[in-house]
Amino acid sequence: MSKGLDALKHIVVLMMENRSFDHMLGGLKVPGINGLKGDEWNPDTLGNKVKVSQSAKFQGQLKKDPDHHFPGVDMQIFGGQKGDNRVVNMKGFVLDYFTQTNNVNDSHAIMNYFKPDDLPILTNLATEFAFFNTWFASIPGPTICNRAFAHYGTSFGQVGMDFFYLLDPILSIYERMIRGGHTSKLYYYNQASSTMEVVNLLKNQPQLFGTFEQFIADCKNGVLPEYSFIEPCYSDQIGDDGGAIIASDQHPDHDVREGERFMATVYDAIRINPDLWQSTVLLIVYDEHGGIYDHLVPPDCTPGGYTASGEATGTGVPFTFNRLGVRVPAVLISPWIPRGTIVSPLKPDGTMQNQRNFEHASIPNTVTNHFLPDFDQNNQRTEREKKSETFLDLLTDTMRPDDDCIAFDL
Amino acid sequence: MPSKVIPVPKTPKEAHNPHRPAGTLLRSQALHLHEALKWHMREVQALLAINPRTLHTEGAISKYIQKVTAVLHPHAAKQQIKQGGES
Repeated sequence: MSKGLDALKHIVVLMMENRSFDHMLGGLKVPGINGLKGDEWNPDTLGNKVKVSQSAKFQGQLKKDPDHHFPGVDMQIFGGQKGDNRVVNMKGFVLDYFTQTNNVNDSHAIMNYFKPDDLPILTNLATEFAFFNTWFASIPGPTICNRAFAHYGTSFGQVGMDFFYLLDPILSIYERMIRGGHTSKLYYYNQASSTMEVVNLLKNQPQLFGTFEQFIADCKNGVLPEYSFIEPCYSDQIGDDGGAIIASDQHPDHDVREGERFMATVYDAIRINPDLWQSTVLLIVYDEHGGIYDHLVPPDCTPGGYTASGEATGTGVPFTFNRLGVRVPAVLISPWIPRGTIVSPLKPDGTMQNQRNFEHASIPNTVTNHFLPDFDQNNQRTEREKKSETFLDLLTDTMRPDDDCIAFDL
Repeated sequence: MPSKVIPVPKTPKEAHNPHRPAGTLLRSQALHLHEALKWHMREVQALLAINPRTLHTEGAISKYIQKVTAVLHPHAAKQQIKQGGES
């Protein structure tokens, strides 16, 4: 066990909304990144080649929410191919976005990506600590089923946004922790934003929930639970005092800068408490790509025992959960992680070293393996989760001194 | 002191638009909340169907009080959870 792992007392996960890896980090120019070269392209509805463009805007460019439901993502990754022998080519993003925009020029915006300087928080956290070249959404589909993988290691066979019932004996990571005598909390932003886990958790475990204000206080007071999951603000609101509260989830068309501020606030809350900083690892990850272009082909995965019918997928073809969704940004932060760490770095010949494919089931798997090593005796989680990659091996024996770790001026 | 301090840009006020049409995520969340509320109401109705005058033992009454208190003050269960019990 590394000294960093030995010191670990808290795991914190912040899950953002609907941005792909290439869109947010693909413009970074650091050795080992599997980002964009600049010549990647998709055809539009007129047959023109639309290249990726470093011209993403904070807001206003994706007013029509890009499709990220199962049939839409199927179109994006297979480029509209049908039949048994089709091959993933990542060539259908512009064609699919045209179905939202009904405007050829507007459909090209799905290929846009950010300049690294536009995202100083995410890009600095990525390059100052660790980022993953190969963290994928768990399902080529929308929010609810993907977030379910972060909470349960499965979506119970669902590939959409529908209400779903929990199936025994699978327990959420929060219930596992509590039953095992540990502490855990899910912090949502405020009551007007609430949680996306409301049906599955709020009914049974209201005491597991807290607000973001409480998260800040818990960090300050040194009473942060062993495992915490943070949800950003999902909507533009008018506060009780009449003031403006801006959504911080980065879901299009919410302003990306407010999400950057939110990430910095979470980091800062942990960073300013020395004891907490040395004993915490923070993962920032996105739930799914939100219909926005990424060039990397989603890999196969352990199926996990469920099949969604052709009717449920909306494509007419059943899905056996044997393939991951589109790649998303994921950054791991701790003073025990060397600057510039890249998971599955790209070699000069363009292949990846030691490719390890992470997905959202990696979250409950990592937390369970660390805090509850004897949990599997009751078979209360899926094979899919158990076979997913875990990430605490990135913590090393060397803790970086305080002056070697960045701070944010909020 | 950290050697590298990064300024965090402010989000312009114009970014705020509570009149923006809600997307599928927020619409789904509202539907799920509605469903959860129905579950909650079923629980409340089941408790209302119990006549407390029919409860005679300390054990039965304390169980009833526990269930009602959990509805009226959910965070009362916090202490039990900390002790490793179920809600």
